[in-house]
Amino acid sequence: MKRRAWLLGTTVGAGALLLGWMALPQRSRLGLASMMAPGEGDIALNGWIKILPDSSVVLAMPRSEMGQGVHTALPQLAAEELDVPLASVRIEQAGWDAVYGNVAMLVGNLPFHPLEEEREDGFGRVKAGRWLVGKFSRELGLNATGGSSSVADAWEVVRLAAATARASLLGAASLQWKLPAEDLKTARGVVSHPSGRSITYGELARVAAATPPGVVQLKDRKEWRVIGQPAPRLDVPAKVNGSARFGLDVRLPGMRFAALRLAPMLRGAPGRVDAQAALAMPGVDRVVTLPAYAGSTAGIAAVADSYWRAQQALNAVQVDWLPPPGSGPDSQRVQEDLRRAVERRDGYRFFEQGEVDRPLRAGARTLEAWYSAPFLAHATLEPMNATARVAGGRVEVWAPTQVPGMCRAAAARVAGVPEDHVDLHVTLLGGGFGRRLEVDYVAQAVRVAMDLPGVPVQLIWSREEDMRHDFYRPMHVARMRAVLGAGGEALGLHIKSAGDAISPRWMERGLPALAGPVDLPDKTASEGLFDQPYEFDDQRIEHVFAHTGVPVGFWRSVGHSHNAFFTESFVDELASELRRDPVEFRRALLRRAPRHRAVLDLAAERSGWGLRPLPAGRARGVALHESFGTVVAQVAEVSLERGLVRVHRVVCAVDCGTVVNPQIVAQQMEGAVVFGLTAALHGRIDIRDGVVQQGNFPEYPMLRLASAPLVETYIVPSERPPAGVGEPGVPPIAPAVANALFALTGQRNRSLPFAL
Amino acid sequence: MARLNVNGAVREFEAEGDTPLLWVLREQLGLTGTKYGCGIAACGACTVHVDGVPTRTCVRPVSTVGPDEKIVTIEGLSRDGSHPVQRAWVALDVPQCGYCQSGQVMAAAALLKAKPNPTDADIDAAMSNICRCGTYNRIRAAIHAVARGDLKSAGLSIQHSDGSTT
Repeated sequence: MKRRAWLLGTTVGAGALLLGWMALPQRSRLGLASMMAPGEGDIALNGWIKILPDSSVVLAMPRSEMGQGVHTALPQLAAEELDVPLASVRIEQAGWDAVYGNVAMLVGNLPFHPLEEEREDGFGRVKAGRWLVGKFSRELGLNATGGSSSVADAWEVVRLAAATARASLLGAASLQWKLPAEDLKTARGVVSHPSGRSITYGELARVAAATPPGVVQLKDRKEWRVIGQPAPRLDVPAKVNGSARFGLDVRLPGMRFAALRLAPMLRGAPGRVDAQAALAMPGVDRVVTLPAYAGSTAGIAAVADSYWRAQQALNAVQVDWLPPPGSGPDSQRVQEDLRRAVERRDGYRFFEQGEVDRPLRAGARTLEAWYSAPFLAHATLEPMNATARVAGGRVEVWAPTQVPGMCRAAAARVAGVPEDHVDLHVTLLGGGFGRRLEVDYVAQAVRVAMDLPGVPVQLIWSREEDMRHDFYRPMHVARMRAVLGAGGEALGLHIKSAGDAISPRWMERGLPALAGPVDLPDKTASEGLFDQPYEFDDQRIEHVFAHTGVPVGFWRSVGHSHNAFFTESFVDELASELRRDPVEFRRALLRRAPRHRAVLDLAAERSGWGLRPLPAGRARGVALHESFGTVVAQVAEVSLERGLVRVHRVVCAVDCGTVVNPQIVAQQMEGAVVFGLTAALHGRIDIRDGVVQQGNFPEYPMLRLASAPLVETYIVPSERPPAGVGEPGVPPIAPAVANALFALTGQRNRSLPFAL
Repeated sequence: MARLNVNGAVREFEAEGDTPLLWVLREQLGLTGTKYGCGIAACGACTVHVDGVPTRTCVRPVSTVGPDEKIVTIEGLSRDGSHPVQRAWVALDVPQCGYCQSGQVMAAAALLKAKPNPTDADIDAAMSNICRCGTYNRIRAAIHAVARGDLKSAGLSIQHSDGSTT
């Protein structure tokens, strides 16, 4: 407890120092009209909103579309407050000003326990930490799409920017007509007066740009017509006719293609390289040796006038690959080391309450179980790629990325130019899931392009490189211990887990200036454990931070992806030990968590839990988990077919606060179930002597349509501010299925993927 | 110069005969709607029709496609996105990231051509393309919606706990 207070104290203290040093004014995130790129005839009213002559609207878009629907949800916020149809909102990539940074993502990563927040009166540690990190994030302006934070982050600022623009338009009409603004109305991009006068936004824009907005008020939720509607996604038409442009679809005159091979051993390097034969092949321009960029591994790239030729050339290059110093990591050994670390090393205590070490009361008993989860690859369907052109001290990059600012900085570092000499275009992302929070592939593309001045080069990773050189979801193990009283009371919970920290490694790779000499405790390791919602009198939730040497990164739902499996399986074990119904047992421990209870109740009710019997050979399992501010419960119906796990139906209940688009919420739950189930049934990356053993889909299988369960989504109505939906559907599915399998077979799966 | 019949037009290109059709379409002919996902015909992102047969082009040497065989890519499925499969995909908001969807749409179009009223088992067997975003529920529903010829009521409705649906 003391150590934790000291560390947090140091963090907050250092933040205060930094702020004092920089003497930062409180800055509005609305930004200035000059921050938006000027276009033909359009008028910017602030840093987010431009009005076109035809009264359509351009919204500055700082977030990447990777399937989660952000290019629809954010325009919905703007359309609502501007009173324009959703179809008339277009998006344009936002600029580089700090107003476009993602504040919610960083604030959401603070290791505060919900109980602490609840109990805090006035301005305490939680509020001070949030305030400081919020202020720091606003200055940092980290433009990132991750942590299920886009809607939560944009919720105030985009609505405010749109409402401010609307107020200026009303003000302009009021000036022009010499009528009070209160008497004017807006609808479908037109300002009107009861007298019958009307004028379009397009006609008013120029005057509005010089008109102060006056009093700006956001709509009451009762007035919403766009927010909360299942509006069709704006990106869908282009995604069914081949016109959507992903990173791999960038086409530029005179473009060359580069094929990549990194050292087979993680952190290995090319030694002697003989490219003679390759360079003699038709259409081949260059063979480039690449250093290890941004935490990735060193390798080589071959450049040619077609990707196929580049690949053939790459195969013809003779390389002596050098192993990394010392021995390469081995996943089997990592697992043994992590288990030993739990047994022998002190953990960082993320949460402590009561006294877990007290002697057992009469009649009480201890239950203990070990859980583990493997390394996992992201396997976005669009492999890593980027296109770059370097000429005359300027760099232009096209990249499917979740972190455009970090890519820009990485490109500038590699090319040795100032950041403002880098133009970075964000394409659509063929999946992200956290892999595209990394900048390795952009650095490589820039390095290759530097060897062909003025020539645009598209660097394409093969599927095999993508799988063998990922930043993997770290392996974690956990020892779960509970003390149950004679009457089944939940007396104590002691969780001790071990695994790599992700955040400090990621900072070293992408934000080296902010990486410190000492790792601060990384909340992602223990999220979902230290803040688990069940009431146990005594609790100690600790984590031993490991350094396995395996490159690790954020993987959809991050620490929750394994920690929900640990807690929700273990809670099920306790229920079973006490011969209690899993839903009823959870409810009893959630007396102070009404949101969780409501979500659990809804999933139980809709699934027919305890009421509707299933056909013979099928069983239900339940799991409940909060992540990224959203609570999700899932009930899975499972059977075994010829020895294989078959999940038939998943009933999913979700409380994600205010819903901006229920269709997108449902889509994300459906997709998250498949994503999490793929991992639970098949997902494992094995590393032997530093070499990743899986290279393509046959070895790292994906769930396909034939084995995908039917997913039903039910939303708990809420007036809380919106929370994320991209990730929270993932964590509960593995434990829900594990618990169903236990109900079916009496066998408990405590490691992923399931072994039967 | 070799020739291919793509989307109703004869196109000329230069490439070694062992070049997979995928790369000729994407690089020589500029048809980037057909995607690279695995390079070993395991994911289906590269699916096009060759004489009506759904074909994974990442492993199909271009020399094995004759100049008279009719290739249809996602760009050629319809002029204006009006193919019933495309309309159903829009009506049900199928795509998420969208990267695999060209292949999914082409596989579904071929299935429905062969079997206008596919059963779930038919869909299971024909639709083996990988979707990493997990849009499978909506793909199945959209195929059934095309078969029913009823796109308006095709929505997977979302039910709220207060009893309303959207």
